[in-house]
Amino acid sequence: MISIDLWVKEGYLSTPDGNSIYFWGFSEGEAAPAQLPGPRIICKQGEEVTVNLTNTLPEPVSLCFPGQTGVTVNGQPVQPQYVNGKLVSFTNHALIGETITYTFTAEYAGTFLYESGTNPHKQVLMGLYGGIVIHPADYDANMDKTAYGSDTDTAYDREYLLIVGEIDPDFHNAVKQGKPYSIKNYKPRYWTINGRCAPDTMLKNDIDYLPHQPYGSMIMCQPDEKVLIRYINAGVGSHPLHPHGNHTRVIALDGRLLRNGEFDRSYQRFTVSVNPGQTYDQIFQWKGLNYSSQNPIPTTIPNLRNMGIGDAGWTLWSGSPYLGEKADIPQSIQSLNEFGEYYFMLHSHSEPQLTNWGEFPGGLMTMIAIYSSLNENVGVL
Amino acid sequence: MAVVTKYLWGMKGTLLLTGRSIPFWGFSPVFFSVPQLPAPQIEAKTGDTVRIVLFNSFLNPSPIGESISILFPGQPDVMVREWPSGNFIFTEPQYSDGQLYSLTNDIATGGFAELKALEYSLIVNKPGVYLYESGTRSERQILMGMYGVIVVRPEGYDIPAHPDFKTAYGAGTMSEYDRENILILSEIDSNLNNQIDHGDDYDMSTYHPDCWLVNGRTFPATVEEPDQSSQPMGSIIRCNTGDKVLLRIVNAGFNAHTLQLGGLVAQLIAEDGVPLVHTGTDKSYQKTSVTLGAGQRVDLIITPTIPGEYYLFDREYHHLVNNDEFPGGMMTKLEVAAT
Repeated sequence: MISIDLWVKEGYLSTPDGNSIYFWGFSEGEAAPAQLPGPRIICKQGEEVTVNLTNTLPEPVSLCFPGQTGVTVNGQPVQPQYVNGKLVSFTNHALIGETITYTFTAEYAGTFLYESGTNPHKQVLMGLYGGIVIHPADYDANMDKTAYGSDTDTAYDREYLLIVGEIDPDFHNAVKQGKPYSIKNYKPRYWTINGRCAPDTMLKNDIDYLPHQPYGSMIMCQPDEKVLIRYINAGVGSHPLHPHGNHTRVIALDGRLLRNGEFDRSYQRFTVSVNPGQTYDQIFQWKGLNYSSQNPIPTTIPNLRNMGIGDAGWTLWSGSPYLGEKADIPQSIQSLNEFGEYYFMLHSHSEPQLTNWGEFPGGLMTMIAIYSSLNENVGVL
Repeated sequence: MAVVTKYLWGMKGTLLLTGRSIPFWGFSPVFFSVPQLPAPQIEAKTGDTVRIVLFNSFLNPSPIGESISILFPGQPDVMVREWPSGNFIFTEPQYSDGQLYSLTNDIATGGFAELKALEYSLIVNKPGVYLYESGTRSERQILMGMYGVIVVRPEGYDIPAHPDFKTAYGAGTMSEYDRENILILSEIDSNLNNQIDHGDDYDMSTYHPDCWLVNGRTFPATVEEPDQSSQPMGSIIRCNTGDKVLLRIVNAGFNAHTLQLGGLVAQLIAEDGVPLVHTGTDKSYQKTSVTLGAGQRVDLIITPTIPGEYYLFDREYHHLVNNDEFPGGMMTKLEVAAT
């Protein structure tokens, strides 16, 4: 049995263009800051999950757990809430200053969303969402790992959770100032992965200057490893995502395995349209045309002079055609390469979403880094 | 193999949405009546011949004032003739001075007393829910509301003990159900509807919906009972625990919509009228919400186990408002009673 405290609070998000955006988020307790997305709930199939929601906002807040069966409050199934006959919440809510406890049994392995069910056009867009990862009953972090249990063909070596969303700063400002806002004119200017816009998406977890955005989204692995990428779309737009130049195998949707007995319903996609409120589990394997520490990268490498990005002239390139090796980079260019690893993007194919308030590069983009050797503790949820 | 005949008048009418009166164009099943949104539902069995007689101006107090037609996406070999005694020919796109103006044969305006109609004829060979919609200046006539559905049932769906009994797609398609509800999703831009209906200049590129509909109504009207208005269909879903509830979802609008199923998990059994289970292969799958692009259809089955109320809604939360106020828009309710 696991028990989690979620406090609903206000906070400020940082964007790479220097903006600071008021938001509502979940925090791990009274002393912890609100965060986007909310704290991850990681548990095992069959476990009982208890979530204590404490509301510090000036309006009721509730939690929905789409795809979880038998969610209860005080032993009773959750039900929509009304005030004077008007629908207020899709499930039982915590009034201002109240704490409410939700309980459910994690019946199915998979990737799920949790989000507010009260004024969702406002509260979810303001940031009240998070992810749930349920490992299968036979999961053992030290043994062969699978997403949906043995005999489901879902084995993986590393796993990453990417929760995408959008931000319309005008809307956030209006909520902050208590001013009216016409929600039909909702127009995002920022697109986020795990609450951050690129290039902040590539930073590590728990960076001290991003106290409200603790989760990085850099995907790191070795060649040929099976990487489980779990997408959740907590936003209200569709986001066509893909690892640049690569396919993934979609193994589950909304936390339900794409397999009927012997019939394997999983499929390869170059781009996965990640739709609102939905989750997509995929296995990604980078084989890279034998690019390794022994074989050079089998393409013509552009002139190094052309490999700097942006005015600052930085690059992620190692300077060497061999994986795991670093070589010379022109003096004017800063290399962010660590150990001769190879980088390529994972991004939204709706390219206007690769901006921070109109400025490229930014938005819904992160990197996949292929290391010749990588600690096994990387990519564990 | 029966012949199902339906008479439809293309007509101007008025919708009551989010407390406002909004003009729309639709189809009426009888003359001197009001048009409906969605258009009258047409029911047939596989193998039936469906004949639709479309009137424009004849005995029509509120004609649309322009040429109209009906297109049947997903139905091959649609034929048409001048009603009642012309020769049937295959439908084809229509041009004026070399310019395309209709995707199928149309009926022009005429006199109030001029007995003139167009008869479409099609043999519905496959079960499923099919859209029918305007094929003439569709960018504005569909936007104005000219769409509805044809429900094609398998052969023995209403014959107890027949293997098709109470199935959506016949025996062996995992489509047995206890309750059936049709949910037609769409949206309306009230400004454009006003401009087009008034004959004002308008700009399609300004299309920006402000009403999001299930079966022609916005929440909370969606959970009210059926009536005789221009928006006759409610969409509340009622069942007992353990019932197999078949939801047949059709996106008749111009935008994609993601319908969230009250936190419940559904089994998707057909996409665009094509069953996912057939000849022993089970390609059905489970979802907590489904995304439908414009014109797409999906059939799914929910089997609720816990009594109570569940809301089904567009997961694009900014569509759950009426005049910017929650709750509203594209939302309806599932009521589950204890068995």
